[in-house]
Amino acid sequence: MQGRRINSTRWNEINEKKVDVVTLREKVGMVFQKPNPFPKSIYENIAYGPTIHGVAENKDKMDEIVENSLKKAALWEEVKDRLNEPGTSLSGGQQQRLCIARALSVSPEVILMDEPCSALDPIATAKIEELIDDLKKSYTIVIVTHSMAQAVRVSQKTGFFHLGKIIEVDSTEKIFKNPDKKMTQDYITGRFG
Amino acid sequence: MSGTGHTVKSYEEEMQSLNDNLVMMGSLTESQMADAMSAVIKVDKESVDKIVKSDGKINELRSIIDNQITTVLVKRAPMAVDLRITISTMKISHDLERIGDLAKSVAKKVKPLPVDLPDELTASLRRLGDLVQKQLKDVLDAYLNKSKEKAIEIWRKDEQVDDLTNLAMNEVATYLQKDKKNLEMATHLLFVTKNIERAGDHITNIAESLYYLIEGEYLEGARPKGKPVESE
Repeated sequence: MQGRRINSTRWNEINEKKVDVVTLREKVGMVFQKPNPFPKSIYENIAYGPTIHGVAENKDKMDEIVENSLKKAALWEEVKDRLNEPGTSLSGGQQQRLCIARALSVSPEVILMDEPCSALDPIATAKIEELIDDLKKSYTIVIVTHSMAQAVRVSQKTGFFHLGKIIEVDSTEKIFKNPDKKMTQDYITGRFG
Repeated sequence: MSGTGHTVKSYEEEMQSLNDNLVMMGSLTESQMADAMSAVIKVDKESVDKIVKSDGKINELRSIIDNQITTVLVKRAPMAVDLRITISTMKISHDLERIGDLAKSVAKKVKPLPVDLPDELTASLRRLGDLVQKQLKDVLDAYLNKSKEKAIEIWRKDEQVDDLTNLAMNEVATYLQKDKKNLEMATHLLFVTKNIERAGDHITNIAESLYYLIEGEYLEGARPKGKPVESE
């Protein structure tokens, strides 16, 4: 997790449920395990969020958002000539990057990625991880992964959750080289008992 | 999660085998060093070939350990304590192999030595050999018991090894000054002394690797050093 520092007061308000859920959703982009593009064109997939939130004033502004979002998700070069084709016509890895572009289109502060690579082959996974490395400069990314190797590769801080409880949170390096909690050590070394 | 052993039994067996081979290697190196020192002090030329030959077994074990580690890394992607064990085992096995080589070199120097080696030449050398053998035994025991206190103690004690090395070298230099005809013998003994001192340094490396294995951090601070040899 790295990137823009989140104003802790505002996030406390969220925790206390003082913030409208629609406003909250606008600030948190989500990417899921299985790529889930809308059954719409590539363009419309990106434009959907900004339309709902009334972000774009006109067509030109929307075109700009679509292009920028696809560029940030490293997908623009691959789809710029077929923006009107269905999002579902793309490969699995491209669909996942489309979903990331869709999340970026409403300028979120946090991107939640829930097992974003578990349905992808190693090449598509590498592209997503490369993208995470790039996006973390501008966004806070929270990634849920069962791949410990991936957690080591992409994150700076790691939280270990077990049966719904937070067991340990520390720098990724500390967690995977020398964790404080025995339960963390047992889990990451494959001692499941 | 009980934490008693890996859920995947073959992983557990691989780590156990790695440990067993390292312990075996330690034991062979300890014998090798003891035999080499005994050969020097007694000027026992007949034992030299046996010592040289037994170094092959130590080298073979290092090679086995290297292969095992490569397999563990690629198959298991070890984490946390397993990662530290794997990395430390690799480093310790390399240090043991070097100690074995140095013991072999020490033994090889026995052949050109005169059988009536004067006591005044070997007094400090004998003490140095005893200390380094003790350090080796202690570091291997510390590994078995995973004792960080012992690791630190051994690490600090290398200073005494350096001091005794200097004494032993001075003894040889003094003897050499008496008669230049002693040059060849003195040169061999200086090499013996330096090799034993180098073995001490590898023991210090092992203590550092052991500390890292246990604590997950490197021993801080500069290594303790004895006074430098005048000729250096």
